Amino acid sequence: MGPLVDFLPNSDRGKAVLNLTNNSTIADMLDKLKIKQRVVVAVNGDEEKGLDHILSDGDEVLVISLVSGG
Amino acid sequence: MTYGYTGKILHVNLTKGELEIEEPDEQFYRTYMGGSAMGMHYVLKETPAGVDPFSPDNVLALCTGILTGTPISGQSRLTSVAKSPLTDCIGDAQGGGYFPAEMKFSGFDAVIIKGRSPKPVYLWMHHGEAELRDAGHLWGLKTGDAEDKLKEELDDKRIEVLQIGPAGENLVRFSALISMSNRANGRTGMGAVMGSKNLKAVVVRGKMKPVIANPEKFKEMQKLAKVNMEPTGMDGFGKYGTPGVCSPQHRAGGLPTYNFNSGNFDKHEEIDGHKLYNEHLRGHEKDDQNRFGRDTCFSCTVKCKRVSEVVEGPFKTDAKYGGPEYETLATFGSYCGISDMDAIIHANALCNMYGMDTISCGATIAWAMECWEEGKLTLEDTGGIKLNYGNAEAMVKVTEMIAHREGFGEILAEGSKKASEIIGRGTGEYLITSKGQEAPAHMPQVKRSLSVIYAANPFGADHESSEHDPGYKAYPERMKEIGLTNPQEKLALNKEMMRFAMITQHLSSAVDSISVCAFVFGASFQLYTPEQLVQAINAVMGWNVDMEEILQVGERRLNMLRAFNSREGVGRESDTLPKKMFNRPLKGGRSDGYFINEEEWEAALEDYYRLCDWDVDTGHPSLKKMESLGLGWVVADNNELSKVII
Repeated sequence: MGPLVDFLPNSDRGKAVLNLTNNSTIADMLDKLKIKQRVVVAVNGDEEKGLDHILSDGDEVLVISLVSGG
Repeated sequence: MTYGYTGKILHVNLTKGELEIEEPDEQFYRTYMGGSAMGMHYVLKETPAGVDPFSPDNVLALCTGILTGTPISGQSRLTSVAKSPLTDCIGDAQGGGYFPAEMKFSGFDAVIIKGRSPKPVYLWMHHGEAELRDAGHLWGLKTGDAEDKLKEELDDKRIEVLQIGPAGENLVRFSALISMSNRANGRTGMGAVMGSKNLKAVVVRGKMKPVIANPEKFKEMQKLAKVNMEPTGMDGFGKYGTPGVCSPQHRAGGLPTYNFNSGNFDKHEEIDGHKLYNEHLRGHEKDDQNRFGRDTCFSCTVKCKRVSEVVEGPFKTDAKYGGPEYETLATFGSYCGISDMDAIIHANALCNMYGMDTISCGATIAWAMECWEEGKLTLEDTGGIKLNYGNAEAMVKVTEMIAHREGFGEILAEGSKKASEIIGRGTGEYLITSKGQEAPAHMPQVKRSLSVIYAANPFGADHESSEHDPGYKAYPERMKEIGLTNPQEKLALNKEMMRFAMITQHLSSAVDSISVCAFVFGASFQLYTPEQLVQAINAVMGWNVDMEEILQVGERRLNMLRAFNSREGVGRESDTLPKKMFNRPLKGGRSDGYFINEEEWEAALEDYYRLCDWDVDTGHPSLKKMESLGLGWVVADNNELSKVII
């Protein structure tokens, strides 16, 4: 959920399964979702992967928007 | 010809009923730029050391900034400063809406209020003139009712009103100043200070628009708002507002839950911005929330404010009292283990109609709930109310009791720290306060640089006083603009993260002095970059300021706040974190097991002091630092201060 959910096709409570081409990176995935803003991305719980990290079949990717106020 | 500002500052002595207008020179405006720094100039000059926050001698400054009232996003903000009755340190609170711009249009940049009126009054500022008027008939009214009466009395629907509600009259220590019945200068009890002065409201109206030095450049800056909207994600931020971060905070393990004992709230979706937008914003039945359920501040394109309502049931709520922000959804929601959106919307409205800070109010109730769960409070204490986590009815009832200082509300109206001192029984163990101010909904266990800022911030735990850790890595171009080029790994609490904390604190401090919105101007997710803030200032003022000068304005304000506390005898010993953040690891979710290592934290605090040029033993600013910021007069004018600032 959160504002990013609008970018997710066929979202079920903020979750969806995406079909990406082989060797797609995190940046490719964000492009496909048309997410232009900066986000924190965790791949299988690891937040330290860069945008050029290549995703594997079955990876669970968490995308979190960044806002420090409220 | 003056650009940006009106050049007039109104001084009000409520004891004598006297009003005076001061006209400072341009250098004064360039030194402070408005807001918090400008207000601190007067608070430091005019309050005696050791002043009681409720004494007539406490000075309350209400200040706009140099950009306020110009037609660009994020400029309609007003800062209030005075000694805080919640923390007994300096108090500081910002708020937006239409009041700040209208105050500028009324012909004044700031109002400096001292004394105490013998009877309730309101201040009426219009078209360059000002007068005090009787407010006996407004005393005791809810904010919405008082505003309606004032519009009728002054026969003008376009007036703007900044007022206290019954909570401010009752000196609830976390009372807020409220405008539009739904915007708050929320934190540190500025409403109680105004209440102690028998000042019910400041009412403004005018047509004196600020003049812009370079209209062409200004137009470019206006257009940039549209260009920046999508790439910054501010369009989505505007749609779902701050509530849209509830679920992301949970997923990051940073949604404070059960009085900060966990960062994981299983029912986060029930209090998230999506649910609020889809089921509670006005217009949701016809999917027309963007038209009816979103509100904004003067000339702001972001439009992030919520207009929510509950049409039936025990928590029926009028839309005129606005809608909850993320902070409010957390404090009345996850802090208390509550997922009933109707109840949270209602509690938010109660705070707006009675005039209370939703962060301190919700967090104080969450503290009481933990005390209840731990057996430290009984039915005898609470007057028969079961204060267990998740009890939405009790939360709403206690909120109302606090505003009226009724029953157990009398004790909670003191804020959780003073309440724990009254109750004793080890209830202090459960506090989440720094300097007596309840922590907002961003967890220092997860965003580690906040652990030092929460502790060392002169007006207590605050989430808008620096950028948050993930921003360093995510926004390298913007961070570079303020000299930050070395992002660190998650959870790092080292010298570089202290540099990040201090430099972004200086920028936030400048933002609160220029008095612009922290969602619109900043070094991370905001609509405009730091460099674009510089450009906007130069376009309006015709100056040639650079980033260094802007950061120095922020540093100047921070040191003024700090020096005020030094004068009150408050130093390093007050720069503390709640004990539970050190000794109780978080439970559940992505932050399971997280805590702050006290030794590592002490070292980071000392690194921060050294970077700030504050004495490591005492926490006081050095004389050299004060003089380098043009603040030698603050020390020279005060005997007590000259003994501790060396």
